[in-house]
Amino acid sequence: MTISRRNVLLGATAAAALGPIAARAQTSEVAIGVIYPLSGSSAAIGVDAQHAFNTAADIINKNYDFALPLAKGEGLSGLGGAKVKLVFADHQADPQKGRAETERLITQEKVCAVVGTYQSAVAVTVSQTCERYGVPFISADNSSPSLHRRGLKYYFRASPHDEMFSAAMFDFFDAMKKKGQKIETLALFHEDTIFGTDSANAQTKLAAERGYKIVADIKYRANSPSLTAEVQQLKAANADVLMPSSYTTDSILLVKTMAELGYKPKNIMAQDAGFSEKATYDAVGDKLEGVISRGSFSLDLAQKRPMVGLINEMYRAKSGKDFNDYTSRQFMGLIIMADAVNRAKSTDGEKIREALVATDMPGDVTIMPWRRVKFDEMGQNNFADPVLLQYSAKNFVTIFPEQAAVSEAIWPMNS
Amino acid sequence: MTAETIIQSLASGLLMGLLYGLIAAGLALIFGLMDVVNFAHGEFLMIAMYATFFLFAFFAIDPLLAAPLVAAALFVFGAVVYLLVVRFAMRAKANAGMVQIFSTFGLAIVMRGLAQFFFTPDYRSVTNSWVGGKTISIAGIYLPEPQLIGAMLSIAAFVALYFFINRTDFGRALEATREDAGAVALVGIDKNRVFALGWGLGAALVGLAGAIMAIFFYIYPDVGASFALIAYVTVALGGFGSVFGAFAGGIIVGLVEASTALILPPSLKSVGIYAVYLLVVFIRPRGLFGSM
Amino acid sequence: MDTQFAQRRRRDLIMAACLAVVAALVPLFVKDVYVQNIMVLTLMYAALSQSWNILSGYCGQISLGHALYFGLGAYTTALLFTKFGVLPWFGMLAGGAISAVIAMALGYPCFRLRGHYFVIATIVIAEIALVLIQNWDWAGAALGIDIPVRGDSWLKFQFTRSKLPYFYFALALACIAWFVTWWLEDSKWGYWWRAVKDNPDAAESLGVVVFNSKMGAAAVSAFLVAVGGSFYAQFVSYIDPESVMGFQFSLLMALPAVLGGIGTLWGPVLGAVILIPLTELTRSFIGGSGRGVDLIVYGALIVVISLALPRGLVSVFSMLTGRKEAAR
Repeated sequence: MTISRRNVLLGATAAAALGPIAARAQTSEVAIGVIYPLSGSSAAIGVDAQHAFNTAADIINKNYDFALPLAKGEGLSGLGGAKVKLVFADHQADPQKGRAETERLITQEKVCAVVGTYQSAVAVTVSQTCERYGVPFISADNSSPSLHRRGLKYYFRASPHDEMFSAAMFDFFDAMKKKGQKIETLALFHEDTIFGTDSANAQTKLAAERGYKIVADIKYRANSPSLTAEVQQLKAANADVLMPSSYTTDSILLVKTMAELGYKPKNIMAQDAGFSEKATYDAVGDKLEGVISRGSFSLDLAQKRPMVGLINEMYRAKSGKDFNDYTSRQFMGLIIMADAVNRAKSTDGEKIREALVATDMPGDVTIMPWRRVKFDEMGQNNFADPVLLQYSAKNFVTIFPEQAAVSEAIWPMNS
Repeated sequence: MTAETIIQSLASGLLMGLLYGLIAAGLALIFGLMDVVNFAHGEFLMIAMYATFFLFAFFAIDPLLAAPLVAAALFVFGAVVYLLVVRFAMRAKANAGMVQIFSTFGLAIVMRGLAQFFFTPDYRSVTNSWVGGKTISIAGIYLPEPQLIGAMLSIAAFVALYFFINRTDFGRALEATREDAGAVALVGIDKNRVFALGWGLGAALVGLAGAIMAIFFYIYPDVGASFALIAYVTVALGGFGSVFGAFAGGIIVGLVEASTALILPPSLKSVGIYAVYLLVVFIRPRGLFGSM
Repeated sequence: MDTQFAQRRRRDLIMAACLAVVAALVPLFVKDVYVQNIMVLTLMYAALSQSWNILSGYCGQISLGHALYFGLGAYTTALLFTKFGVLPWFGMLAGGAISAVIAMALGYPCFRLRGHYFVIATIVIAEIALVLIQNWDWAGAALGIDIPVRGDSWLKFQFTRSKLPYFYFALALACIAWFVTWWLEDSKWGYWWRAVKDNPDAAESLGVVVFNSKMGAAAVSAFLVAVGGSFYAQFVSYIDPESVMGFQFSLLMALPAVLGGIGTLWGPVLGAVILIPLTELTRSFIGGSGRGVDLIVYGALIVVISLALPRGLVSVFSMLTGRKEAAR
């Protein structure tokens, strides 16, 4: 490990000493580990993530005229123009494999930083391992709130977690109530793995605090062959807002089953996941007119920030899809990590960590609707404001918070 | 809990149960014929669903029309799997049971890998098919058309299977081969041919089920896993070797699943199915209608 | 028990001792943690598969639900440690004891079932346990249990970077599981099991004693697998229901024995030594493509080996040495 680090370091110092000519000749690379499920039942996510990370690496390594850190110029200027090299690893959604692959990335592939992981359960072991080796880890798209509360020094998360996301939903409900809408009862519908459990816990807590009544709290087994019984209970409860926390497979089945059983929820406020996946809208988009999902990304931003649209085009050229809530966060995860490496002017874990701690990136140099990127003492960015997006006329429109909204919410959704 | 909720639950459970029966029918047939449990059964279903999807996406053939085509394709596929893999597994001189389990299980992994390789891991769905999303409502009870058609197809398939096994020459050949493979060789029946046709038939039944499932379910390389265990439990509950048992098993599984969800939290509904299976086999170690 | 049999047993024991010593020396030369990690997993699966083989291979009761005991071991240790501060060493024994008792309680009704009815019963019992744990809030439900690691400690059996303590523990466990199997082969139980396998009619006359010996085998097998589960919890320091009790663990435990040679002394070891590095390496070096190539390779290998060598890979060795009995 030390050998290659030293190589990079020596290269960097030599480049600095010899000036710009040597820097251009400098071809050293900085390896960053990217760990995702690339096979198994969530492989689809991992494959999309690969495209998002490759897009980010492309922007860093080549010269683009975007107001995004590292876009201008080739490679990392802080390391003499060293290129970012991504090393992908497959954790197959298994915490043990996540741990082993992280160790391999650090000790064999000599990565100086790690970005991951989609599944929160895997993020637990990946971040533990990074901590043990003193290598910084950015949780690009994990939203479990417990992750940053474990006293880890090398853990960072630029995007919001479930409590922030859920708080935005309840802020929205409060705002709608002020406008005279009737929102009293909620129905939670969540899957039984870590994502659904965390999400439901946050929502239950917020509902109690802000005086909403939960009339149905349905926990179901992920990838069930049928959701008929679950939907019947939702239908019987007929809450003012249905709040699903489901991955793609279950989201598709939920929407189809609701239609089959003649249940039209008054409103749907989804916790992202399946409700921000293209596959869901390809399958059942016609039944989702007016659905609201939380998110951390919106293509609307392209109207104010043209680079968002251009970068999205680059991503679409690779993947055939628009950026969604996951892929945009993955993209930013790498940019933020590479920016820290660049400012650290080193591939040393501790130096990169210090650079991450010092990160203070204004929101408008990102592709996200965030106010800024600045980590608190636990490594969480509290300035990552979630947005609420409404699906209408085959597009997602930002409807909340007001400063980011481009149109009024249609409420109730079926009106 | 209103009476309407209960009736709706049981009606939905019955429809789903008939479909489970149809999915399990092929497994029961193959087992009854040669005592082999196909651990790639869920993947057969997955292939059938993909076949339906692609026929729809590229040739705009509605799943209902595609069903016979998919069944035919799966027939060929099943026969080929028998000739390429299972035939050799049956020749194993030692640990025959284990070899059958693991060769078909390995096949399942290969099929998932190939599906991911060729079809990508993306989630697919058949949209805007003739009956997709349509539902019939009778006195506040909703019966989705795809499941209704699936249920009718399931009943028809079991009736046809009954006549096929009991009333046709080929059915009798199947039955005779099952009972005494050595003796049939003497009267000039090629055992391998009969078995290959049996596998083809079993796979064709899964093909029918897959075509119907594709109308209302999502499709991706791992989709078979959700149904495989239910299919095994269905067949074992009814009793291995009894095709009628699979039919009854399916209905029971569907109804138990629906009624468990009425009493317990829905995340526990699979526990109801498994508990009933254990209860049945502890009392009747060969399932409800098992013969061997 | 002819002399040839006794001779073979002595040879096996010497060979095992030599292999254990060689294995113990390997970490002196292999310092790479990634490789060491693979070695730990290989030994762990060898131990698990060896334990599974006692019930499923020697007794012929094919269990595809051993993840239940693995999970019980992992959960007992992790819960006792995080909730009550009980050291993992005691948790390990407690987990083993609980699993052994449960294995006997389940064995009582299940051993009446034959063939696929038994296999499916083991699968659904493990699934029921998985769903229950997933819904048990006190045990962390789906969130699992994060075992806090605060520095290196033998007492708490946790080490931040070093793989060596885990390596030696896994080696010891594999040796114990091997030795228990070796010892059982020549016991009364081992004799009955062979008799029943060779001659089904003997099963009738030996009915009751064989039934009891199967209960014993289930308990031993479950105990050892649970210790393996406790080890895994300490090794990974995070457990959640799906990752310790999922169906895939039941299969992963069975595969080395099946490929190496089911119901044989050396099968599980040989199977684990080949299979585990192979799966780890295929995932690490071709799994990153996201195209499922690793699955195709892995699955095809299982098909080919199980078809070509129904007695497992050990049969190749016995063919080479011209000894048939080794592949029994």
